[in-house]
Amino acid sequence: MTAHNMKLKLKIWRQKNKNAQGNMTDYHLEGVSPDMSFLEMIDLLNENLVKSGEDVVSFDHDCREGICGMCSMMINGEAHGPEKSTTTCQLHMRKFKDGDTIVIEPWRAKAFPVLKDLTVDRSAFDQIMSAGGYVTVNTGAACDANSILVSKVDADLAMDAAQCIGCGACVASCKNASAMLFVSAKVSQYSLLPQGKVEAPKRVQNMVAKMDQLGFGNCTNEAECEASCPKDITIENIARMNRDHLKAKLFSRPEIE
Amino acid sequence: MSLKLDSKIPDGPIQDKWNEHKFHLKIVNPANKRKYKILIVGTGLAGSSAAASLSEMGYQVEVFCIQDSPRRAHSIAAQGGINAAKNYTNEGDSVWRLFYDTIKGGDYRAREANVYRLASVANNIIDQCTAQGVPFAREYGGQLANRSFGGSQVQRTFYARGQTGQQLLLGAYSALMKQYGAHKVKIHARSEMVDLIVVDGKARGIIVRDVVTGEMSSHYGDAVVLGTGGYGNVFYLSTNAKGSNTSAIWRAYKKGAAFGNPCYTQIHPTCIPVSSGHQSKLTLMSESLRNDGRVWVPKKEHDNRSPEKISDEERDYYLERIYPSFGNLVPRDVASRNAKNQCDQKKGVGTTGLSVYLDFRDAIKRDGESAVRARYGNLFDMYERITDENPYKVPMRIYPAVHYTMGGLWVDYNLMSSIPGLYVIGEANFSDHGANRLGASALMQGLADGYFVLPNTIGDYLASNKFEKIDDKHPEFQKGLKDSQGRYKNFMEINGKHTVDDFHRALGKVMWDKVGMARNKEGLETAIKEIQKIKQDFWKDVKVTGSADGINSELEKAGRVADFIELGELMAKDALLREESCGGHFREEHQTPEGEAKRDDQKFSHVAAYEYQGDGQDPIRHTEQLKFENVKIAQRSYK
Amino acid sequence: MGKDCKKRCVAPTSICKKQFMAMTGLLLCGFLLAHLSGNCLIYVSADAFNRYGHMLVTNPLILPAEMGLVALFLAHICMAIKLTVENKNARPQNYYLKSKTGRGATFASSTMPYTGMIILIFLVLYLITVKYGPYYVTQVDGKEMRDLYRLLAENFSNPLHVAGYIFCVSALGIHVSHGFWSAFQSFGINHPRCNCLLKCLSKIFGLLMALGYSALPLFLYLKGGKL
Repeated sequence: MTAHNMKLKLKIWRQKNKNAQGNMTDYHLEGVSPDMSFLEMIDLLNENLVKSGEDVVSFDHDCREGICGMCSMMINGEAHGPEKSTTTCQLHMRKFKDGDTIVIEPWRAKAFPVLKDLTVDRSAFDQIMSAGGYVTVNTGAACDANSILVSKVDADLAMDAAQCIGCGACVASCKNASAMLFVSAKVSQYSLLPQGKVEAPKRVQNMVAKMDQLGFGNCTNEAECEASCPKDITIENIARMNRDHLKAKLFSRPEIE
Repeated sequence: MSLKLDSKIPDGPIQDKWNEHKFHLKIVNPANKRKYKILIVGTGLAGSSAAASLSEMGYQVEVFCIQDSPRRAHSIAAQGGINAAKNYTNEGDSVWRLFYDTIKGGDYRAREANVYRLASVANNIIDQCTAQGVPFAREYGGQLANRSFGGSQVQRTFYARGQTGQQLLLGAYSALMKQYGAHKVKIHARSEMVDLIVVDGKARGIIVRDVVTGEMSSHYGDAVVLGTGGYGNVFYLSTNAKGSNTSAIWRAYKKGAAFGNPCYTQIHPTCIPVSSGHQSKLTLMSESLRNDGRVWVPKKEHDNRSPEKISDEERDYYLERIYPSFGNLVPRDVASRNAKNQCDQKKGVGTTGLSVYLDFRDAIKRDGESAVRARYGNLFDMYERITDENPYKVPMRIYPAVHYTMGGLWVDYNLMSSIPGLYVIGEANFSDHGANRLGASALMQGLADGYFVLPNTIGDYLASNKFEKIDDKHPEFQKGLKDSQGRYKNFMEINGKHTVDDFHRALGKVMWDKVGMARNKEGLETAIKEIQKIKQDFWKDVKVTGSADGINSELEKAGRVADFIELGELMAKDALLREESCGGHFREEHQTPEGEAKRDDQKFSHVAAYEYQGDGQDPIRHTEQLKFENVKIAQRSYK
Repeated sequence: MGKDCKKRCVAPTSICKKQFMAMTGLLLCGFLLAHLSGNCLIYVSADAFNRYGHMLVTNPLILPAEMGLVALFLAHICMAIKLTVENKNARPQNYYLKSKTGRGATFASSTMPYTGMIILIFLVLYLITVKYGPYYVTQVDGKEMRDLYRLLAENFSNPLHVAGYIFCVSALGIHVSHGFWSAFQSFGINHPRCNCLLKCLSKIFGLLMALGYSALPLFLYLKGGKL
């Protein structure tokens, strides 16, 4: 076990509220244990801030076990920090060295406005989901589960995509702030499963249109999203969505209502 | 006022109760549904599924959650699976067997009728979720796959890798998003319920604090549904999410809703141990690890040699020794309690002495590292990420942690609390798990309540009551708003010396030491005094910085911890008054000669429900007798 | 809903725009390949090269083909500008510190707008110096035609021109080494079975373009303008 007392210099984005100007503020933090998670390190900073009468650094977090998708920090220029397949809450201070300077910023995207400090508004993701991220089936209308057969391969691929936790790291790390990985994960999940195929053409068009409308950037196939995704969602999903979208645009017919 | 607990369990044979009951319930006709507004707090499995279902039926629905999106509720963290008696494996499973296992697992402290209903709608849940596109694991032929889980002898658990909770929640969330996209649901995210409003004896609305602006607002409707989860965070360290709290149900309790069985908490045996005082939360590892891992401690006290230097003769595989037939696979409560016993005997390992080994050496020797990796690879990775120890080389260290609370607001068969119009669903209510919950049953209950039970029962209340028109100008709302604003202003003004977390940690320590895995009279009495002292200190000495009008996580925490402190006292009182051991509630005075939980069915075969009497007053303890007409009561034995 | 559908057909989505880039890009790759193979005649002889040039400009189809090519270039460039502007707008405030994971973006992928710009400048210079440059005349097989060979040989006797040319075609190589694969990804061709092949093919194509186009000025420079 390493020494219990790391000293760190933190550069943290402080911004009072949505409309205020923000700036990077320096903090010195001592007594950081290498066994702390990154968020526990911020907890420690915040306790110190309270004791000295200052406002705490606001950041989103909840489950602290890498599944809720709440935590969202740009750590030294990387979404969720330097570790692969790891959310901020699962990152530990042993990955840093005594005396390090750590730069902490919020996700930045037009569609993710900063609410305070490191807290951003990701409701745009809900909006995209409400544009088609579902199968239209009301409660009670389901048939027996085994009457829908799904090949194991498709079920596994769908599950790979469905693991998305909606944290927004893909948007944060994409140089264009594109939400393609997030959207494609949901589109893929449903387009791989028979339950979702019925509405697939409509879904892909509506979700993509909504994504564009909300001000996310365009995909330039750089795969930084894939690289920073804590759940290893691959850009194969983006390709699948591109394919489905093209097919839908070329062959699907508009609904008559 | 004194309340009467009427469970409203329908008459008739248990198999027919629910169907008969549904037939007799009044129904709101489709055109009238849109005239009723239902407020739903919490968007976990129960809240989301209820919101989607009620909105599909045509009711006006408004949803509130504290997270930035309904998708992040803590149901998302459930790993293992969801039970249903589909009998796809041809092992003779049935609704009756699922019902029986659940009652027995709950140590005979749950209502038969509720549990039977839960078992009988479980199959519909699997159908519903599959139709929504939840990617359950499949067999090669395309059918759904099943696996086995603790407390049952058949394979009836449906799963989506180790993320079943996530997938089920995202399914319910997608249904909610469908309604939201169609403008049939209003969603208030980052909104915290801070009070319940009762008008003329009926729950008619809530006071909500917008976490972003700090603004308090009133919301009114014809019924209020709480699906706000459990209160495990009263222990400070638990496997619950940091935001999980008791405030919604505690506010309701203080407005007159009875609190059922507050002392029933479940402690999960396989969690990653606490490493030091900075720890903010505990991480659970799937129970399945105990299939291949062997639990042991050194035979000698304070033996701090590294594990590979301790020979087999010097190791005590205590679970295998004490429970030769079940070995490492004893139920959660038994495994947890034994780990604590070993540590109490100073045989615990690790720097804190508060953990036991879970060793895969023999499994690796037997099946090879790759086989073990295939089975538990992701869990091992997670363990290594957190502890920086390689479990393929060094035995894992585990310790029990608070995981689930079976207690919650008392509800009748219709899921209505003792306040008319206030419904409580999912973990927030007390109803279906008795004194101990079986694995893969929490997801089942949340979705059963939300998809299939509440949508049927709430209509009866709406159809059989008259609702006078109210709005947020009503004096009750004005008063509620003023009280809540005053309460939060007060937090800001105390300006003491200690952080909210200081108090929370202090409370957690008392709860864990004295109201945790093993409880006794003396400890509980001390705990009550200590908690009262913490409460006094809190209101004198808490320090909240920042401002009340904007995001202020310290202020949010202050509100929640204030409620946790009061709840902790009630839990200790309940534990003190329940002079028996059952399931997750273990009183050291009441154990068999072998150290197992000893129930007292004569005196305590009942639900204890507490009625709030005012600050500083002892609540009234009401009881609801449990009748077992279909299940034969027996002492659990795992030897 | 009907109105929505109409809107959907009119306003191209981000994916449509990407696929438009992919399509024009792939067609331009085809042009690059054809152009490169034509260039190879320079290694045969000056006459062969000039004959090829003459054959091209005297073909009646050259005008529509050139117009098509110009349209293709313009379309690719305009859409690229539009996308780049949109992408910049998607993040109005930049990060204080942004680093690459090293697992995703490559040098080629992250410099697409810049290599694209270099190619554009190169294109303009190329057109000025070659297409609209001095008109030398030569006789091949008794026919009078433009002596393109001399023009190029003169130009590439200057080491600065050679260096500049190589710099630009290297940028081109880098551009297409990402663009080629990227086009397939945009059309949805991404499968574990063919990903490796496509990625390799893309890099080989980029390398081929860079080396193939660089060979010409080097060849002429080393020959020192002699026939």
